[in-house]
Amino acid sequence: MIYRMPRFEYLAPGTVEEAVSLLSRHGEEAKVLAGGTDLLVWLKHRKVTPAYVIGLSGLADLDYIRQDDHGLRIGALTTHQSIAGSELIKRSYGLLAAACGKVGSPQIRNMGTIGGNLCNAGPSADSAPPLLALDARLKLVRAGGQREIPLERFFTGSFQTVLDRGELLTEILIPPLPPRSGGSYQYLNKATAVDESLVGVAALVVLGDNPSVVEDIRIALCSVAPAPMRVRRAESVLKGREATDEAIEETAAAVAGETLPRSRADYRRKMSAVLTKRAIRQALANAAS
Amino acid sequence: MKRKIELNVNSERHELEIEPHWTLLEVLREKLFLTGTKKGCDCGDCGACTVLVDGTAKLSCLMLAVEAQGKNILTIEGLARGKELHPLQQAFIDQGAVQCGFCTPGMILSAKALLDKNSTPTEGEVKAGVSGNLCRCTGYIKILEAVLSARDKKGG
Repeated sequence: MIYRMPRFEYLAPGTVEEAVSLLSRHGEEAKVLAGGTDLLVWLKHRKVTPAYVIGLSGLADLDYIRQDDHGLRIGALTTHQSIAGSELIKRSYGLLAAACGKVGSPQIRNMGTIGGNLCNAGPSADSAPPLLALDARLKLVRAGGQREIPLERFFTGSFQTVLDRGELLTEILIPPLPPRSGGSYQYLNKATAVDESLVGVAALVVLGDNPSVVEDIRIALCSVAPAPMRVRRAESVLKGREATDEAIEETAAAVAGETLPRSRADYRRKMSAVLTKRAIRQALANAAS
Repeated sequence: MKRKIELNVNSERHELEIEPHWTLLEVLREKLFLTGTKKGCDCGDCGACTVLVDGTAKLSCLMLAVEAQGKNILTIEGLARGKELHPLQQAFIDQGAVQCGFCTPGMILSAKALLDKNSTPTEGEVKAGVSGNLCRCTGYIKILEAVLSARDKKGG
């Protein structure tokens, strides 16, 4: 297949202020270009035909991974490869490194950004489940102001977010992890698309003073609903309880029941349960060590 | 509306007039006539369009030429020094890793990016390193052996 790219004017702001000003001015006629691994595919398929493409490649100061008292801050233009290869993230937020490390292919990971992954808001976005399990917050900047929202309130449907016209995602903030916490990301790939997840499950457990009791548990999935989702009802099955095999089985079944898969629903529900068990067990092992 | 850009490809500067919607792949092939970089799927799935951008493997079919300014682009044509092939190119020939040759430029560049960052990769790391490059001919075994033999020659 060979594609003819649609025509557009290319704008290259040098600062976030310039970028949001352009976004605000051009509104529906503009699309933001980060790594290009989603937008250029949409353009080639003519799913979008913006008059303006606002390229963010000049905003080098949105590419960072920093830790401070508020937690871990990741700039929206940080690539999947930077996240997957970060010693800090591998050590303390391994589930996020694992998810970003399996996106697409090496080349896609070198180009694609975490901000672009979230704003594209595909149902199978791998970076979303770990960030949901980590209670990540998003900084959204517009001309003359900004707001911070939990990632859990960002997705409104398939490829749909609460981003207003004129708003740009600049940063992802992950609050500090409680002590004795551990996470895991487990997934299965589709056979029909380049390494796209068929089901992805992120789990984060926090152990109590009694290490066999799960003080807190967060579970999030991709590719089982119109958008990546937390499964809070299923979480409550294990929260405050001892992590016996029986309890984990019950939780996994509850996760499967809470998913909303559209295609291959039966298989996706079954695999949600299988991957949830794996993720919880690995998260528990990580929390204990 | 056309604009003038300057591209640095294989250590050569090129001044070009391009449309903003042209991809780097199109400009490399159709304006610079560097047809070693291939248009396979043209949508980011096959890796045949792989080039190195400041040493990092990227898909030129998903890059706008206008955004390639200020970067060092390396295509397959930039590997050999005159008639002297790059060790990876020689290894692919010696190990029989080339059948139709369509995947080869992208494969070699992905392998080069890997070896430049990690000169002693394991077999698993080599497989991961070229996992973004599809081959329809060889079944990948010879390609793996070629990269490993280039690794061993360099290490030795």
